[in-house]
Amino acid sequence: MRLLVIEDEIEIQGFLKHSLTEAGYQVEVAGDGKTAERLASENHHDALIVDLGLPDQDGISLILRLRQLGVDAPVLILSARRSVDDRVRGLEQGGDDYLTKPFALAELLARLRNLLKRKLSASSEATRLRVLDLELDLLRREATRGGDILNLTQQEFVLLEYLCRNAGRVVTRSMILDQVWGMRIQPDTNVVDVHIYRLRGKVDTEGHRPLIKTLRGVGYVLRDR
Amino acid sequence: MFSGTGKTTMRSAAWRISLWATLAFACGTMVVFVFLHRFVSQDIQRRSDAWLSGEVAVLGDVAVRTPKDRLYRRVVGEVAELASREVPNKLPSSKGENDSVFFLQTAPDGSLALWVGTGNGAAQLDAVHHLKSTPDAPSDLLVAGFEIPFRVATTSVGDGSRIYLGLSERDELRLLRNLRFRFFLLWLAIVFIGSAIVFLTTRRMLGHVRKITEAASRIGESDLSSRVPVTKRNDEISQLASTLNIMLDRIENSIHQLHTITDSLAHDLRSPLTAVRAKLEMALIKDGGARCEETDGVVAAIEELDRLSEFLNRSLDVAEAKADALRLDRTAINLDSLLRVMVDLYEPSMSEKGLSVKLRSNGPTEILADAALVHRMIANLFDNELKHLPPSSTVTVSLHSVEEVAHLLLEDDGPGFGEELCAHVFERNVKGPKSKGHGLGLAFVEAVVRAHGGSIEASNRHEGGARLKITLPLALESDRRHSRSLALSAH
Repeated sequence: MRLLVIEDEIEIQGFLKHSLTEAGYQVEVAGDGKTAERLASENHHDALIVDLGLPDQDGISLILRLRQLGVDAPVLILSARRSVDDRVRGLEQGGDDYLTKPFALAELLARLRNLLKRKLSASSEATRLRVLDLELDLLRREATRGGDILNLTQQEFVLLEYLCRNAGRVVTRSMILDQVWGMRIQPDTNVVDVHIYRLRGKVDTEGHRPLIKTLRGVGYVLRDR
Repeated sequence: MFSGTGKTTMRSAAWRISLWATLAFACGTMVVFVFLHRFVSQDIQRRSDAWLSGEVAVLGDVAVRTPKDRLYRRVVGEVAELASREVPNKLPSSKGENDSVFFLQTAPDGSLALWVGTGNGAAQLDAVHHLKSTPDAPSDLLVAGFEIPFRVATTSVGDGSRIYLGLSERDELRLLRNLRFRFFLLWLAIVFIGSAIVFLTTRRMLGHVRKITEAASRIGESDLSSRVPVTKRNDEISQLASTLNIMLDRIENSIHQLHTITDSLAHDLRSPLTAVRAKLEMALIKDGGARCEETDGVVAAIEELDRLSEFLNRSLDVAEAKADALRLDRTAINLDSLLRVMVDLYEPSMSEKGLSVKLRSNGPTEILADAALVHRMIANLFDNELKHLPPSSTVTVSLHSVEEVAHLLLEDDGPGFGEELCAHVFERNVKGPKSKGHGLGLAFVEAVVRAHGGSIEASNRHEGGARLKITLPLALESDRRHSRSLALSAH
């Protein structure tokens, strides 16, 4: 997978290049709109990561220009602006998703994966999810661990499903809030932690290997190895 | 529908102005007519008096000179008859005979000596006897059997007998009545046309004012970029419109400036925050979570950083909201289901702390609001309860709607707001003595509620505990259609 990162701040640029390469992507970096246009027309990219505040032009108009040039890769917009209309405009004008600064790396990776998956047209919707000895039946909304049925509430099932779909990858609290509860909020209390704690009490019972792992300062991960 | 427009017309300034103008105009023309009428009637009277005086002098002269023989009666009678044909203001009588003039001569003993006129003259003779004074100037005489008085001139004929010449005032009165009637018709027409002209002109004028008002209120609630209509004429109203537009230009300018400042502030602060966060994350990844003691600091720094950026967001939102400049991206939100999700999200944390939460709702309650802001606002309210309530308290959230307004009530049985705090809870940097927050939570809640046209009230319950009462305008059917069409055009 080849990515084009268009970001002018050297530190963030370096961080993105480093961590995206580590995540297994081939990364090209552009510091301004001109370079971005050149790179985008020379090579094919699977996705673009575009910062809205570029030195030579507005990120939105750059995206429009690239689309005119025939670049149809999905775009993840990074925005340090705060106005709502910019976000709406960004979504309207061909950008597929957006992320406000400062962001967590895990969230960036997750959104990027979503974009790429969307492009590959969602590989045949599974009706069952399996992670090690944990199994989810999505039709009957039933979860089992080593054959034993887990007594989960509706909300807990959705949360576990989200963790399973991202098994082996880090999910942040704000990703969980966004995907499971449908809200982009930043509570300054431990609401998500308590949900995870309760879920863990039901999934990682005695005699089973703990699956839900907390990565402090980052988020959670459901072990798949 | 019609009575509705009728009522609004009656209440309009155009109606009042034209009513008063019409009243003043009608009174003025009436006074002018009264003077005119008096002048005309006096003039008519003067003319008929002059005629009477002249004729009676001639008749007296004839009566004196004519020898008192058999022909006397005939000669004087002829002269009187001739005179009566030259009556001024004469109108043909309905009976075809001349009953408007009489000539009467009394003998020295007061008996009827000569009579020229309709009837036998007995009534006239009787009336003449009652004529108190006999001045040279003509005077009014009421005769039995006649409704309208006669104007009578008299003169004595030397030998003690008197002659009287009477002229009925009937024709004079009829003339004046005619005049009054015609004037009244003319007056009605003038007043009606005048008031119609005044009403239409003022309504047109004030119509411009109404248009300006409508446009101004539209601008107030939605966008600042449109302007009130300016007419071509350079009158007071178009001056008002252009003054308003200049004012709007300045408001738009300062709001725009505020947005630029908050945006660049956000940008300038967020970029380094992003860089710092990136470095911290890299440090964390390198360590691989191996040594707990060292990563602790990094983790705490990341958490602090996230809190800082949320604080930054809230401060800027509160700052914009205080200036009525918060940008809203409104969509239809069902408060009922949103609260259910929120309760679901917060319930575990609350019960962990020994708190219980109850939700009472009267079913779907739709408002038109900025989803991101409303989500954060309600999360703020729950965070607040979670942080400040002592264990085993109960939070009750109730939602109901009354007359197109959603009422959201948040009550608890905790310690409530401090006495000195209660009036200031919505101000920035106001917080309880034990609070660890930035004192921005409720200021942010108030800012969001106000930006959506709602109200918020904080008080302590009689039974103890705090109560927050929030009202938000419900989405109207027209709003919903509008937002739907916006959503459609956006896609």
